[in-house]
Amino acid sequence: MIGLWSVPLLFALPLSLGILSLLVVPKWRPRLIFLGLPLLAAASLDVLAGLATVGPTVYRLGDWAAPLGINLVVDGLAVGMILMTTLVTSLCALYAWVYLRDHPSSTTFFWPLLWFLWAGMNGIWLAEDIFNLYVGLEVMGLAAVGMVALRATPQALAAAMRYLLAALLGSLAYLLGVALLYGAYGTLSMAGLQEAATNNATTQVALALIILGLLLKTALFPLHAWLPPAHGGALTPVSALLSALVIKASFYILMRLWLVLGPEVTPEFTAQFLGVLGAGAVFYGGWMAWRQHHLKQLVAYSTVAQIGYLFLFFPLVTNTGPEAARLAWDGTLMMLIAHALAKAALFLSAGNLILAVGSPQISHLVGISRFRPMSLFSFGLAGVSLMGLPPSGGFTGKWLLLHSAILSGQWWWLIVLFLGGLLSAAYIFKVFRMSFREGPQIDRSVTPPLTLDVTALILASVAILIGLTAHLPLHWLRMGSVFGVG
Amino acid sequence: MIVRVVMAGLLSLGVTVALGWAVLDRPAPVENLPDRVASAMPESGVEHPVTAVLLNFRSYDTLLEIAVLLLAVVVALALREAQPDRPEQMGLDNPLLRAVMAWLLPLILVVAGFLLWAGSYQPGGAFQAGSVLAAAGVLLRLAGGNLGWLDNAALLRAGLALGLLTFIGIGMVVMLPGVPFLTYPDAHAGTLILVIELTLTLSIGLTLLSLFRLNPPYADDPADARTQGAPKP
Repeated sequence: MIGLWSVPLLFALPLSLGILSLLVVPKWRPRLIFLGLPLLAAASLDVLAGLATVGPTVYRLGDWAAPLGINLVVDGLAVGMILMTTLVTSLCALYAWVYLRDHPSSTTFFWPLLWFLWAGMNGIWLAEDIFNLYVGLEVMGLAAVGMVALRATPQALAAAMRYLLAALLGSLAYLLGVALLYGAYGTLSMAGLQEAATNNATTQVALALIILGLLLKTALFPLHAWLPPAHGGALTPVSALLSALVIKASFYILMRLWLVLGPEVTPEFTAQFLGVLGAGAVFYGGWMAWRQHHLKQLVAYSTVAQIGYLFLFFPLVTNTGPEAARLAWDGTLMMLIAHALAKAALFLSAGNLILAVGSPQISHLVGISRFRPMSLFSFGLAGVSLMGLPPSGGFTGKWLLLHSAILSGQWWWLIVLFLGGLLSAAYIFKVFRMSFREGPQIDRSVTPPLTLDVTALILASVAILIGLTAHLPLHWLRMGSVFGVG
Repeated sequence: MIVRVVMAGLLSLGVTVALGWAVLDRPAPVENLPDRVASAMPESGVEHPVTAVLLNFRSYDTLLEIAVLLLAVVVALALREAQPDRPEQMGLDNPLLRAVMAWLLPLILVVAGFLLWAGSYQPGGAFQAGSVLAAAGVLLRLAGGNLGWLDNAALLRAGLALGLLTFIGIGMVVMLPGVPFLTYPDAHAGTLILVIELTLTLSIGLTLLSLFRLNPPYADDPADARTQGAPKP
């Protein structure tokens, strides 16, 4: 069986390391990453090798077949997300290893929460069972809330509380939908639902609840209010992980479920409506990002905006013909991965800039380009991908979406792609304008440790590189999906 | 304010109507899962279908749920540590209460043990037994009993982690013959499930008790409650 050991290791190993980091002496807690990162990287690559040689497979936990047992799905989409998670989390963990030396009170519980978060995410990427997805969401969501609360300032606690309530409401709506589907069809497996589900009131109400719950968890405009304080106020490596990966998990579930059930059972306007909300997110998030005075708040609102692009998937993939749908799939996944890499890089480099000037205010960045060019360079590279300039991953993703929009005759989405890019440029250049302004002639800024700059730079570079070599990852991502043969 | 209440009311009403409609109008399931469970029961190692589903057929879900419980305590520990330390004063030091507790405690422990054992052939199991254990701990604490050993961080954490660690460990060890994660060999399924349930009971009990204990003891002192517990804007 392909991935017999590597597939369960992807969630069992982070869980075990999370427990272990609770039990070992404090000095050893961060050092567990040197055991965990290579092993998880190896497991991820082994799963990829299995996919490339044998193709998509199903992993039967406990050797029970669905619907009695729980299946895990090891297809291109799942493997792609796992590799993205491994890369981004590893670099954020290395960053945190150095960064948290200045935050000794937060280190005790950062590491267990990080490992649990990782296990939850890998559990979600692999899940094929809609109840199992709910449990995965709870593991990931609770770990994420705990990480936001780590700072323990009144603001951080308020943000975490708000995040917790939003996440719980989203989970409960999702769970209600799952219960309805189970009651109607007697199966929790997505493959089983695809066969059994028909268009009736129960499926419609269930899907509406599931979609609403997941929209809240993905923070799609206008349900985004919990995101900026939680993502902008957390410790820097936490912000990066939450913005880059955690919100993608609920979107990922939405994407999978839509392809299973969406077009058949939802009224025709639903896909367009989701697209319109996405467009609203792009405009509102971009505008709000431009208006921020705190650097990390700007980056957090940029996430609100970038989420919007992902939701163009729904109008572009629904009833648009095979070629346009395939382009929409490719484009959305490219945007998703490029955003994960670029946003992690943007948060980490923003954290470096804040460390350097000792203030979160954008106006205090005056003259920083002269003294800390490397931190600013990572910020700029990540910005290139977010703006969608060639040759970045963000550009490739937008280009594919644009083609899909033209092919399906939905020209109005071109406006969103174009104006959204301009808005991103506006808020990225707002930071640059400040940092290139002539300021003090003496270097009074702190030098961030090299590890912090290097991890941000690697993430930003990969966000650019993936645009140049998009062909291969996109080919793998299509394996096992309905677009696989193309 | 009124507008918000009306909006919330309308929203709740809408959701209720939609849910009612969805439940009343639901189609008859094509898939008969209870039948499948019944036919797989002989291989499950236990006699009660709920336990079979929770600890064999869908044991992966249970494993992740235990992780959620552990996570909740980790977050509570993190938040508690961030609070300024205060002396623990909860509990009434009342001789009558203590006497009653001395009678009740053994009984509660027996009930917990029975529930755990009963899980294999009738309703019961680790979650129920663990909650009963935790209830014993909560009662002890309210009666001012000595739970000082729970302040030993290493011991407490080991106890909290025991269940999940055993679960993952067994899930991995059974893979050695080359079968997927959590595939218990038919001959030993019953024993393995019992071991998992036993450790889970202890960890679940400790988890629930810790969640209760980690609540900062503000409200003990009425004067304190007025200054500290006032709602913040």
